[in-house]
Amino acid sequence: MAISKEAYKEIEDVVGPENISDDPSIKDAYRSQYLTVVLPGNTEEVAAVVKLFNKHKIPFQVQSTGWSFYPPEYDFIFVDMRRMNRIIEINEKNMYAVVEPYVIVAELQAELFKRGLTCNMKGSGANTTALAMSGHGHMGLSTGTGDRNDLATEWVTDEGEIIRLGTVGASGEWFCGDGPGPSLRGVIRIGGVMTKQSTKIYHWGGPTKYALEGNSPRYTLPEIPANMMVRYYSFPTVEKLIEAELKIGESEIAFELMGFCPSMVSSNITTNNEEDFATLERFTKEVQGPGFMVIIIGNFPGDFEYKKMVLEQIIKETKGKSLKAVEDHNAEATLLFQCTRVTGSIRETFRAGGMFSSMMVQGQRYDLHVEWLEQAAVWKRELIKKGLIIADDGQQFGWGEEQGHLGHTEIFCRYNPYDADSFKAVHDWMDKVAKLALTGHYSVPVNSALPIEEIGSQACNYHIWLGKIKQAFDPNLVGARTGFSYVGADTAGAHTLVYPPKPPAKQP
Amino acid sequence: MVVEAKFAKIVGAGNASSQKETLEEYSRDMSFVNPVRPAFIVRPKTAAEIEKIVNLANETNTPLVPVSSGSPHFRGDTVPGTGGVVIVDLSGMKKIIKITRHNRVAMVEPGVTFAELIPAVTREGLRLNMPLLPRQSKSVVGSMLEREPVIMPKYQWDSSDPLACIEVVFGNGETFRTGQAAGPGTIEEQWAAGGVQKTPYGPGPAQWQRLVQGAQGTMGIVTWASLRCELLPELEQPFVVGSANLGKLTDLAHWLVRMKLVNECFMVNNTDLAAIMAEKWPTDYCDLKDSLPRWILFYNVAGYHYSPEERVSTQIKGITDICKQVGVEPVKAAGKVSANEILKTVQKPSGEPYWKLRYKGACQDIFFITIYDKLERQLSIMNELANQYGFQSSDIGIYLQPMVQGTNCHCEFNLFYDPTNPREVARVKTLYTKATEALMKVGAFFSRPYDTTARMIVNQNAASVDALNRVKGVLDPNHIMNPGKLCF
Amino acid sequence: MSIEQYKGDMEMCCRCSACKHIPLQMVRNPAHSYACPSIAKYNYHAYSGSGRLIIGREALSKGINYTDRLLDIVYNCQMCGACDISCKYAMDMEVLEPISEFRMKCVEDGHANPALDKVINGLHKTGSMVPVKGKRGDWAEGLNLKNATKEKVDVLYHVGCLTSYDKDMQKLAKATAKILQKAGVNFGIAGDAETCCGGRAYQMGYREDFLNQAKKNMALIKKAGVKTLVTGCADGYQAFKVLYDKYNLKGDLEVLHITEYIDRLIKQGKLKLTKKVNLNVTYHDPCRLGRLSEPWIHWEGKKIPGYKFVFDPPKTYRRGTNGIYAPPRDILASIPGIKLTEMDRIKEYSWCCGAGGGVNESNPEFAAWTANKRIEEATSTGAEALVSACPWCESNFNKTLKATGSSLKVYDIVELVAKAI
Repeated sequence: MAISKEAYKEIEDVVGPENISDDPSIKDAYRSQYLTVVLPGNTEEVAAVVKLFNKHKIPFQVQSTGWSFYPPEYDFIFVDMRRMNRIIEINEKNMYAVVEPYVIVAELQAELFKRGLTCNMKGSGANTTALAMSGHGHMGLSTGTGDRNDLATEWVTDEGEIIRLGTVGASGEWFCGDGPGPSLRGVIRIGGVMTKQSTKIYHWGGPTKYALEGNSPRYTLPEIPANMMVRYYSFPTVEKLIEAELKIGESEIAFELMGFCPSMVSSNITTNNEEDFATLERFTKEVQGPGFMVIIIGNFPGDFEYKKMVLEQIIKETKGKSLKAVEDHNAEATLLFQCTRVTGSIRETFRAGGMFSSMMVQGQRYDLHVEWLEQAAVWKRELIKKGLIIADDGQQFGWGEEQGHLGHTEIFCRYNPYDADSFKAVHDWMDKVAKLALTGHYSVPVNSALPIEEIGSQACNYHIWLGKIKQAFDPNLVGARTGFSYVGADTAGAHTLVYPPKPPAKQP
Repeated sequence: MVVEAKFAKIVGAGNASSQKETLEEYSRDMSFVNPVRPAFIVRPKTAAEIEKIVNLANETNTPLVPVSSGSPHFRGDTVPGTGGVVIVDLSGMKKIIKITRHNRVAMVEPGVTFAELIPAVTREGLRLNMPLLPRQSKSVVGSMLEREPVIMPKYQWDSSDPLACIEVVFGNGETFRTGQAAGPGTIEEQWAAGGVQKTPYGPGPAQWQRLVQGAQGTMGIVTWASLRCELLPELEQPFVVGSANLGKLTDLAHWLVRMKLVNECFMVNNTDLAAIMAEKWPTDYCDLKDSLPRWILFYNVAGYHYSPEERVSTQIKGITDICKQVGVEPVKAAGKVSANEILKTVQKPSGEPYWKLRYKGACQDIFFITIYDKLERQLSIMNELANQYGFQSSDIGIYLQPMVQGTNCHCEFNLFYDPTNPREVARVKTLYTKATEALMKVGAFFSRPYDTTARMIVNQNAASVDALNRVKGVLDPNHIMNPGKLCF
Repeated sequence: MSIEQYKGDMEMCCRCSACKHIPLQMVRNPAHSYACPSIAKYNYHAYSGSGRLIIGREALSKGINYTDRLLDIVYNCQMCGACDISCKYAMDMEVLEPISEFRMKCVEDGHANPALDKVINGLHKTGSMVPVKGKRGDWAEGLNLKNATKEKVDVLYHVGCLTSYDKDMQKLAKATAKILQKAGVNFGIAGDAETCCGGRAYQMGYREDFLNQAKKNMALIKKAGVKTLVTGCADGYQAFKVLYDKYNLKGDLEVLHITEYIDRLIKQGKLKLTKKVNLNVTYHDPCRLGRLSEPWIHWEGKKIPGYKFVFDPPKTYRRGTNGIYAPPRDILASIPGIKLTEMDRIKEYSWCCGAGGGVNESNPEFAAWTANKRIEEATSTGAEALVSACPWCESNFNKTLKATGSSLKVYDIVELVAKAI
């Protein structure tokens, strides 16, 4: 038994016997034999059990929908937020929605589409939490990014105190998360549990629902909805691609600009690996260089025509070339709903080899992160040559966010995590790329690629500051301590790291 | 060496002052906060000096109050909350460090005012997302740190915008840079790599700038800040929509912001618009006010590099359709005020004297964040209370600013009064407190509480006060930064 | 077949949780976003398709650690295959097959569910998955149906256990007979000689019992010389069509569900639906008529060594694309007066009625919970009646409805067709 009988019983008294388990098979499914799983059903239960974790000094980790999970190698409680799955409010006139952690994007978006609205969708997909959280997503050009979509938030600290940020603490309303005074939004991702959050929502110029036809996995649209268009353009050089991206952002014409590599397009529009690889081969011959996918949505017909016209002009100026395959109806339709309703991530990342490991960064895509990850791409191609990872285009990719003010840049290797050689090669590659981020002054790399001290010492010792703030809210040190990379109630999309066959972390 | 002398040594004797008149200046402002005379004034010129000042303050347990804007101040946040304060006046730090058109970002020291920065960014083809008519002396950094609402809600993705990164000397004396500026490398090394200081995230899972914004100088002293800029439009077509029915205007504002159709977009009542636009007082003011509808929504349609005419005409057509549905009509002038004049006015800081002072010489603001659904009740309570406390309700200026892309709305009551008339002062003071209390009960959210009402507002949420104090304990463990403000 | 052969598939699980929900672009209502009843009810990840695969993968490394909880996880699954379809929208990997093999391994290891053991004991004794009262062919008394074991017929109507023995379900057999007679089909039944198809035994984890039943059935069919088998039971249909084929027992027998056959008869002009049946209905796709009825794809190959999850020869996956979705809908469209309103979860991403995988017998409360969710969904369409095409669905819905007091009616599609002729 991972925790004492006394502690188990006290937690059980809060959540009920059906919502706590340390059975070996339950643990197996969470890929750790160190854990006891607790499924709280509401905020009060979360607060009560976290207080008990403190009383008994039991470390805990929290996850909402998640993707992968990186369990520590010590006895701990895993708080699975699955039972907290209610949409609390959709306020159309004031453009926000309030959700619990296990509402998934597909659910919230279904309700929002009916009202001509949408939420941001993390790259990890519509299968993951609709909390704003940290994940960035393909639609960021027009639907904002990560925590910048947070409004009022209900947060249970690592000590079990319920803190209601902004308006929800003042009047129970959800329209603002800042103040009174400094905004605690600044610290809520360091630890604790987000139990409810208001997230910004955005206008949706598309249909209230996609009129999909066909059967899985070949859904399609009988016709592309009015005022919508998808294209993929390749460019002679990275510089031209960046120029086009910037111009599209600045002219505010695109709903989504996703810097797919051709391999990602082929993954998204195909339904199995063989078809995917064959399609990629075709695409590779047709594209002239790096590229991106653009989705245009007009608010009304004139708006659509204007946006299309500007897009054509920009593409002409930057010598872009449209990938004909995407002009095909089925490909265009598939990309449209894949990228606005599903996200391409499962097809484009996991299908080929079972796992992917990614170096990603949010922020200044142009002139900086692209340059850094272009070098990562050179090193990635060496792994491809050695047959250690899936042979794709070996490119970095990314997208503009907030009309190009910010951006996301990423590169990943797809591989079989159970192949020791591949696993090691990818891990080494991640380290090398992370080191380049530091020596080249490009970026703070994903935390756990390198020891936090190595990164923090080169970035204002932020890890020390984080440690202090963490301790201020978690004096018993029971909250998640995964190199301070913990992001509240979810790891989805934030840390898609090497999937270790054994838990990697030791309790500090 | 007495403490003052040690501070003076850091900044040089010419940049320090303990002259009675100077101290008097900093002891009060136009708010109802009780005057407290500071002990000393220092005017640092560099971040290194600021770091030394904060370290000395920690060693000597001297409270510091940072000030970046010039006078007049209105909110009591720079009036010492305790005795023995050293004022750190940053208004002389006026470097515009860098403006990058390509990345749409500017980086400035705290003393740079809007009047100074606007021409500099204009030269690069950029513009600022400004608050409504800041006073001439208002610091750009100060405005952003106060989370002042901005007049282009479409470009305000987050309440922290347009602030990007900051360099801050925390209360414990250590210097920290937020977001992309944190590292790796020095700022110069980042520039050499092609980087700018724009990304607000992190480093790590914290969002550090959020802890400094809204803190009224209680967490640390900002030595520079960067801000996102927007492109200068090539074509602009401003409009006004007047109505006695505010609901129709908020409906329209919702759609304009939701569909990101317009740049500048705000609503004012006739009192405020007249106060803003009147040139000759009081005749102009009265004429203008009489000519105006009760409520005015102002918006501006902009075109950029690509086919600006076509973009503007397309957007106008779309807006016309929305207006038909809402039942209002956009026009080029409201009463005697043209939309073009409004546009020109609000794209600059206020002329002198500051527009809020022109009518009666003083102005007390009551401002909070709300949502459209609650406005009607809040406005009516304000009217009732104004009547109750003898303040002519038609004399209240009202400014409504959609914020954060339409997720909420800044509501501001401007109570113009004559500071030389004690009875009027007393009336406004009472109304200010009573209205704040009453509005809180009907969902007005005082996200930025200042002066005499701050503690009442902050104490509404005990858990939040506790959490803020934990943060404060880390960043300013000796409580030397602006003590007595907010919940600190 | 064994769990070991799915090691690679189980390792492919990335825990994305797509298996919990219907294909994401099909989510139209948060109340109807789940595909898997088990995770929707029991919440621990172990109860999802992904959790089951991860447990299976762990078992390959360290053996199965049998606990009550493990068996609870194993048997609280309708084997409805919704997880499999949702996963395979994006992935190339088997989900239901390893889950099924894991259950079979449990049974082989002596960890069968007692309630299911009782059912299988009954099967051994009576050739039926339901309690037996009287004889299997009693329902046909007085209908003058041909006995296919004695007379030459074109079509063998396999009635199935529940429809044969359950007094409330025999109406389906009678309706079917009436329809086939009306269309002038030369059909027969096996009467008392009919025996269980074995499909439900297979779902419950009893491979050997399934194979025994399959062999018995195929011997009977061979002896009778019929080329076409029609059944109204979705479980039976999937067993004859897919499972028998999987184990190379089907030969060239044509297997049709009654909805396919009626649809064919209507389209051939042999059956005319003329009487008005004024009813607003919604249609429930039974799992084994829908997504799980896709023909078995015989494939043998090896994973190509290396990092890609690809095979030589390439493997074609069954993804639910080719289930029987159109015929029942076409029939409903042919009945005058019927108005069909679809539910949110249909076709390959339909929500299970709750009765599959032995859950009906091992955990009736979970079966009812699952049915109740479907009834709520059906009711939300505004329909007066929920139409299905499987006696197990109808029976479970009716049992649940009785408990809730809902006014929703439940019909098998043959009942409506019988009314219309």
